[in-house]
Amino acid sequence: MRFFSFHLMPYPALPPDYDGPAWITCPNRLFDPQVGHEVYNRYLDELILAEELGFDGVCVNEHHQNAYGIMPSPNLIASALARQTTRVKIAVVGNALPLYDPPTRVAEEFAMIDCISGGRLIAGFVVGGGPEYYSFSINPAHARERFYEAHDLIIKAWTEPGPFEFIGKHYRIRYVNTWPRPVQQPHPEVWVPGVGSLETMEFVAAHRYAYMGIPYFHISVFERTFGMFRDACERAGYQADPMQSGWLEPIFVAETDADARRLYEEHFFYFVKRLLPGINIQPPGYTTLRSYESMLKGANTFAINLETWDEVVEGQYAIVGSPDTVYEKLVENLHRLGTGNLLGLFQLGTLPADLTRRNLELFATEVMPRLRKEFPEGQAILQQSEAVA
Amino acid sequence: MATLTDQMLSTAVGKVSVRRGGTGRPVVYLHSATGEGPGFGLLEDLSDSFDVIAPMFPGFGESEGLDAVDDMEDAAFHVLDVLDVLGLERPALVGLSLGAWMAAEVATRWPDRLSALVLVNPVGLRVDGAPIGEIFGRDPDELAADLIADEQHPIRQAARMMSAAAESKQEIPFELVKPLLQSLAATAKVGWDPYLHDPKLAKRLHRITAPTLVVRGAEDRLVPASHGDAYASAIPGARRADVAAAGHLLGLEQPAQLAALIRDFLGQ
Repeated sequence: MRFFSFHLMPYPALPPDYDGPAWITCPNRLFDPQVGHEVYNRYLDELILAEELGFDGVCVNEHHQNAYGIMPSPNLIASALARQTTRVKIAVVGNALPLYDPPTRVAEEFAMIDCISGGRLIAGFVVGGGPEYYSFSINPAHARERFYEAHDLIIKAWTEPGPFEFIGKHYRIRYVNTWPRPVQQPHPEVWVPGVGSLETMEFVAAHRYAYMGIPYFHISVFERTFGMFRDACERAGYQADPMQSGWLEPIFVAETDADARRLYEEHFFYFVKRLLPGINIQPPGYTTLRSYESMLKGANTFAINLETWDEVVEGQYAIVGSPDTVYEKLVENLHRLGTGNLLGLFQLGTLPADLTRRNLELFATEVMPRLRKEFPEGQAILQQSEAVA
Repeated sequence: MATLTDQMLSTAVGKVSVRRGGTGRPVVYLHSATGEGPGFGLLEDLSDSFDVIAPMFPGFGESEGLDAVDDMEDAAFHVLDVLDVLGLERPALVGLSLGAWMAAEVATRWPDRLSALVLVNPVGLRVDGAPIGEIFGRDPDELAADLIADEQHPIRQAARMMSAAAESKQEIPFELVKPLLQSLAATAKVGWDPYLHDPKLAKRLHRITAPTLVVRGAEDRLVPASHGDAYASAIPGARRADVAAAGHLLGLEQPAQLAALIRDFLGQ
């Protein structure tokens, strides 16, 4: 089991009277640069703390023109982390490939981060969220084509000697000759986050990359998603390694269960009710019909529909409680999901610095060591018959 | 009233369905992003006077081939293919909204391939200060209000039901949303970026030689009136007509009035 601390870098100061979406049209006059100065530095500190506390890695991601995550360039944050950490993996989960033109930019920047960090980058590739296709005016009906083509170009840029010519449908570059090249050869480990689209799973399975399940759905949806991913690997002719999947989940640890809920609930609901609205827009042509049909199952369990704390607990939308409670719930769910990477969101919504730090410390000292014992490396994690899913 | 029948036509991009009926001068109807076809009164009305031919664009109805269409230029060439396969030398081209844009693209490239052009609430141009409204990612009820003036129109009623279902978090059956998803994906292919226009179209409109009629719904809330004006002033000799009590989807709201205008214009 590998443990990652994932930061969304949310904007925590939407005015109370603003009740619009946090995406696409959320007015940028609501962004206070002074708040930006404070939270960027604070959030970086929280990621750096994860290394001191013994996490295996840190994760950052890319979103544009929104209050949910103010990290339009995760590569900037990752390069700061490459300098300010020495041991942890730095997972950029990921770069939204169709938004980079030409995508050799991703090959260059990822290689830079890998060089600066001495080979600690995990290279994440993502199709990009629905809202980004509005914010960039990139045609969502070409999203998957561009993603696959950009991926092929980046991997080729890293693995084949340049210069060479790349002629695709969306990208045409006469001289591909990427400097620098990554430290990790032939290329860094690749992760792909997804919300359950069949094509993404099949792509990840075919390339033997790792699939990261995006949260905010009922635990049963995750269970089904990771089952489908293992099936996709089987159809590709092999059995999935637990390290090929990761579960992203909000986690909050406090001294007691009662404390944990009392301290966490309002911050969680700021995230759900203020930062999620608008994230689930589905631009036309972005999802294939077969994936759309498949993802309809469970669509109503999207966290934005949550109204009560009981629903949060029942659906495991966040793992919250004393160290014992969090440990037990994580063990149970990891056995259910079979994922070899745990990506914890230890800061969420408006969760302030002191509570985030305490959360990370308690998790790292009281929970993580016990989980490492429970899930020794190289051993199977899944403990449930596939038939149940 | 002549009966319209469907046939599948083999084209370069794949099989597309074509609805056809009536006798007389051939009139090709290019549909809007709504994909109007079966049960569409305008076609039945026109088929009393003309040989009406209504191809469904790839991605709409039973038509295949959307994977081979990337943009409006591909769409224009596809329309030319359809004319060729059907052996239509110089039909009249009638289009609504997206279909009108497509017809204008065909008419600028191959002015000799049509005998008349009727553009009904055309998109396709960018007019500074008068942007076309958003059609993607809208609440169905709000979008329908931009498209159809009559609150009691069946499309307005269906849109209200869809919005109510979404509001109450009901699951909408996949079979119901599937045609909508397909037609929006097809529309995005040609109209996402640049948004529902072709920056090069305006400077090419002078090439159109066919007699042209630009029809506008007086209550079109999606496309500002200046777009019809821009088409009419750039196409040599173009005439204009306004239809009262009609929104953007004029052909669905006032099919009889539109049919009368077309008959009159085509000299029947």
